[in-house]
Amino acid sequence: MFSGKQTKPTFKSYLPPLQTDSKKSPQLPIKKLEAKLLPGEIVVNEANFVRKCISAESCQDDLWGKLVCTNFKVSFITHNSLPRQRFQCTHRLLGEHDIPLACVEQVVTVNDVKGKQKILGSNQKLKFNPTELILYCKDFRIIRFRFDEAGPESAKKVCLAIAHYSHPADPQLLFGFEYVGKRYHGSTGERVSGIDPGGGMQTTLFDCSSDWDREIKRIGASEWRVCTINQGYFISPSLPEFFVVPVSLADQDLKQYACFFYSQRIPLWCWNHSSGSALVRMSNISDPQQQRKVEQRISSAITKSHPLRSDVFKSDLDKNLPNIQDIQAALLKLRQICVIDPFEESEEKWLSSLESSRWMEYVRTFLRHAVEVVYMLESRNVPVILLEKEDRDLSCVISCLVQLMCDPHCRSLHGFQSLIQKEWVMAGHRFLDRCNHLKKNDKEESPVFLLFLDCVWQLWNQYPAAFEFTEVYLTVLGDSMWVPIFSTFLFNCPRQRAENSRVIVIYQITHFYVFFFFFTSLLYFLRWVPEAQIPQGGPITAFHKLSVLTDEIDMLLNQLRQYKGAGGTPNSLHAEHSKMYFKATSTPHQPPAPPEYLSSSFPFSPVGNLCRPGILGSPLSKFLNGAKIWLSTETLANETI
Amino acid sequence: TRSDRSSGTRVSDTELRYVFIVCVSTAKDVTYICPFIGPVRGSLTVTNYRLFFRCTDREPVFGLDLPLGVLSRVEKIGAATSRGDVSYGLVCKDMRNLRFVHKEPEDSLKKSVFEVLMKFAFPVSNNMSLFAFEYKQVFPENGWRVYDPLAEYKRQGLAKESWRITKVNDHYELCDSYPAALVVPVTITDEELRRVSSFRAKGRIPVLSWIHPESQAAVVRASQPMVGQNGRRCKEDEKLLQAIMDANAQSHKMFIFDARPSVNAAANKMKGGGYESEDAYQNAELVFLDIHNIHVMRESLRKLKEVVYPKIEDSHWLSNLESTHWLEHIKLILAGALRIADKVESGKTSVVVHCSDGWDRTPQLTSLALIMLDSHYRTIRGFQILLEKEWLSFGHRFQQRVGHGDKNHTDADRSPIFLQFIDCVWQMTRQFPAAFEFNEYFLITILDQLYSCLFGTFLCNSEQQRLKEEVPKHTVSLWSFVNSQLEEFVNPLYVHYPSHVLFPTVGIRHLQLWVTYYIRWNPRMRPQEPVHQCYKELLAKRAELQKRVEELQREAANRTASSSSERAGSPTRSITPVQTYV
Repeated sequence: MFSGKQTKPTFKSYLPPLQTDSKKSPQLPIKKLEAKLLPGEIVVNEANFVRKCISAESCQDDLWGKLVCTNFKVSFITHNSLPRQRFQCTHRLLGEHDIPLACVEQVVTVNDVKGKQKILGSNQKLKFNPTELILYCKDFRIIRFRFDEAGPESAKKVCLAIAHYSHPADPQLLFGFEYVGKRYHGSTGERVSGIDPGGGMQTTLFDCSSDWDREIKRIGASEWRVCTINQGYFISPSLPEFFVVPVSLADQDLKQYACFFYSQRIPLWCWNHSSGSALVRMSNISDPQQQRKVEQRISSAITKSHPLRSDVFKSDLDKNLPNIQDIQAALLKLRQICVIDPFEESEEKWLSSLESSRWMEYVRTFLRHAVEVVYMLESRNVPVILLEKEDRDLSCVISCLVQLMCDPHCRSLHGFQSLIQKEWVMAGHRFLDRCNHLKKNDKEESPVFLLFLDCVWQLWNQYPAAFEFTEVYLTVLGDSMWVPIFSTFLFNCPRQRAENSRVIVIYQITHFYVFFFFFTSLLYFLRWVPEAQIPQGGPITAFHKLSVLTDEIDMLLNQLRQYKGAGGTPNSLHAEHSKMYFKATSTPHQPPAPPEYLSSSFPFSPVGNLCRPGILGSPLSKFLNGAKIWLSTETLANETI
Repeated sequence: TRSDRSSGTRVSDTELRYVFIVCVSTAKDVTYICPFIGPVRGSLTVTNYRLFFRCTDREPVFGLDLPLGVLSRVEKIGAATSRGDVSYGLVCKDMRNLRFVHKEPEDSLKKSVFEVLMKFAFPVSNNMSLFAFEYKQVFPENGWRVYDPLAEYKRQGLAKESWRITKVNDHYELCDSYPAALVVPVTITDEELRRVSSFRAKGRIPVLSWIHPESQAAVVRASQPMVGQNGRRCKEDEKLLQAIMDANAQSHKMFIFDARPSVNAAANKMKGGGYESEDAYQNAELVFLDIHNIHVMRESLRKLKEVVYPKIEDSHWLSNLESTHWLEHIKLILAGALRIADKVESGKTSVVVHCSDGWDRTPQLTSLALIMLDSHYRTIRGFQILLEKEWLSFGHRFQQRVGHGDKNHTDADRSPIFLQFIDCVWQMTRQFPAAFEFNEYFLITILDQLYSCLFGTFLCNSEQQRLKEEVPKHTVSLWSFVNSQLEEFVNPLYVHYPSHVLFPTVGIRHLQLWVTYYIRWNPRMRPQEPVHQCYKELLAKRAELQKRVEELQREAANRTASSSSERAGSPTRSITPVQTYV
């Protein structure tokens, strides 16, 4: 229960590890296998003598240990460790073998003796004793456990538990509600910035009127004001309590107009271009008779707030962009070609299958549309309204991209997080439905946010030095959708989130491995595939050099400062709290060995992920060849084949 | 400026000062039909080396500046119109086409630009010499001395007890497309080599290319054996391969890598060629690498040019790219080289590499494998040695494959073999950004100068021909130019790892189209933000800081020394020097 406590660095941890003895020394006394639990986390079920499959070809690398299902994750605890990576990134919440329950897409149990398999949902029965369990994950991993030596009953129970707990009946059962850990960001107003305690920069949450005031000031949108009519969510549950409107619109008018908009969503101000042209997002007007009139009033108010009184340009997103089902279909195809199709066979058709998934095309469509909006704002100098039926999906992507392209502030780490908070969280993107955390309504599931991150990746790839964050940051941010501790991605709207405000906020946790600047798109989609790894290569090697160099510069600056400050000789102990991930070594004559732990997948390890078959003949390949089971739960009968 | 980008890498005007350049023809009021920005009016000048176009009606000033060597074809498009306009197209070897329109000069005595272009762009077809023979620029370093075969074999650590350098080809009598210096097993006599030469296509016998410093596993290159339909054998050839295997005590096996697809190799039997039968070469295992011939590669590049120039169709970009098969060919070549490197490094086994004649696919494979195996070839000078050795001295037919100064653009012997190799190297530099001393600009410079005919390096088809034409005497080496401004070509991320063997990932997923080379003429493909530039700035910053720290250190040490002199001064140097290995 208390093992989640972090170990403090002690004097000993500064000493280099004894290298000569460690290999020869006798095995440590066998410790009891205990799951590391977070505060509030409880073990639901467990099975001993479980084998985690590491390689698809042979079982010689397999790991033995205990499979544990908690109310938060599936954990595998083992004494034998993987071929040690010398340099390991540790996740603050998850161990090497942990999978958050929310990340589990599908639970498949197999009995290879009887030739049976079953996809498990919640509260189901299993008529056979499973010999293996395959977990298909939302982050493109496939993990396999075997129960040859485990007790048949306990194996069955742990499978059922995993299936049950990965299909929570309502949001209250998501772990975020049990987590009683450190609250990084309380409602008291006390703010802790994770990266730089005491530093000035922090993520704005836009949950109070002063946040919006500051944003208006930062942007210089003097013709706009904070509107408080939605305080207590009396007007619309999907709008934030505070938002920004043209000064010429009175609260009374807004209240009157609210009912014409889709779920009372009064148009939201997003941002002003430096020319004064505003970017506004707006839902459809449900009453066709009122449509003209209301639209006109809103438009003329926006025009009045424009320095040149320019007319508004309306950009219809539903007409020009793929809808959420298109996006979901593209991701499914992409997943098919990235992890399911036999890696070698799909080689020749990789580019055309990538194209046929349409994912890249959609990424391009969104980017191009954002560029068009930027053109209207910047070159034509007119205000733009983003029109979308519900104003809760496509507008989030476009408004963010526009701001990322035009406003350098949004490309800093905190600026980016504030941007997501403003345009996704507060604007009411339905994270709960889009992530399908409750696995109830597959029609609502859509990776809009992931698509957005991919668009950002493309921008970052073209202008790496313009962003304060790196590829890995984007990847980790994408992964945190499946760690339901972060309230950010748990709810459908601000009201729901506010009602459940016990849950902590994501942002202070996302930087487990945040790098300084600069890192390719392959990382997200191919990081788990062993064959796609470049040992001791990949952009990370360049990043490694850059970090070391930056760190060296930092050290030199420090020395200079100390000389100047103390006037004496500085002490040589290099700051252990260096910002850089890779540090300059202060051992002068260490040979420049290539960093073995670096590969193109760094910091993610594909070891133990079986997401790809090159493995014809092994039991797994059967399922992978008939891999449709993963793609649609609906079309396949849930019983054995 | 605009003109810089469109001309790619170029030698500046000042460098051409000493040069005999004749301005042959200038035409005013010419329109360049730019596929990206539309028609541009200006003046066109043709010299005996290059073509300039300067626009006169546009800001910023737009210009074109390209060496005539880059032209593969000059053609009139349509007949002269009633207004007297002539239009002609220039097809370039560097992935672009240009189109100009101008009025026919009224003075009929003055040669038209078209005729001048036809004459100076194709000097070889007009019995004139290439511009490289006119170019007399003096550089501080003589690039012709970059490669000394004996020194190179010595560097490799050639074991005298198993290998010897033979003079049998001193006068190119054994094989006219091979270098004079050849390394063969000590146990094989020159007489036996002569017999082997009659059994190998074009006399290109198996000789050593590279030897592993520790395991003594060797990379050996050759041409196909002349087996023919009757399955001819040659006992000297068999003895030679056995001797190669015996020279490596670590392994009792060897691999013969035939670069061709097995079908093609078999089809060669009809023409007297073929491949080693496993009966005749008992301990050798034959592996086919499925790399296609020069005609397939030429066709693939032609398709690629269609896809990338001038317009790119966004909606079918990936499938269009796939249909060119260019990346697939790159993949097969890299995969072949990787297998060779893996057998030598991990299997400690000697390998023989050949294709049909052993001058196209063979140098692609051996030189890529050598880059993976030997970090020396990843340095700027090492890479020059590699090209001089594997490509130039071993007779890759540059003249034929590139068609320097030859107007016969449909020649079936032309093929982008060397370009493919450079592309493979570029792929490796992507995967291992810190493993190469040179940068992308170095690779692009090599390709641009391959076509420019400014330097003698890539002229002729063989070492023998270059000596006969006295190329080193009358022309300047590309390496003279490169090595006189090395800093331009240095990769700031480079770290020298002496014994680091590279095993690149050759999956299509990790190969990229070399956009900055193939699509560089498209203004939409702006170069991405140069991270290297940023790195260079950081390096400069570090150097500056280091200097300041050292100064202060000295000051402090002096102060301590003077203040503690009465206390039997023991100045403490407590600063740990920051490690630098860049």
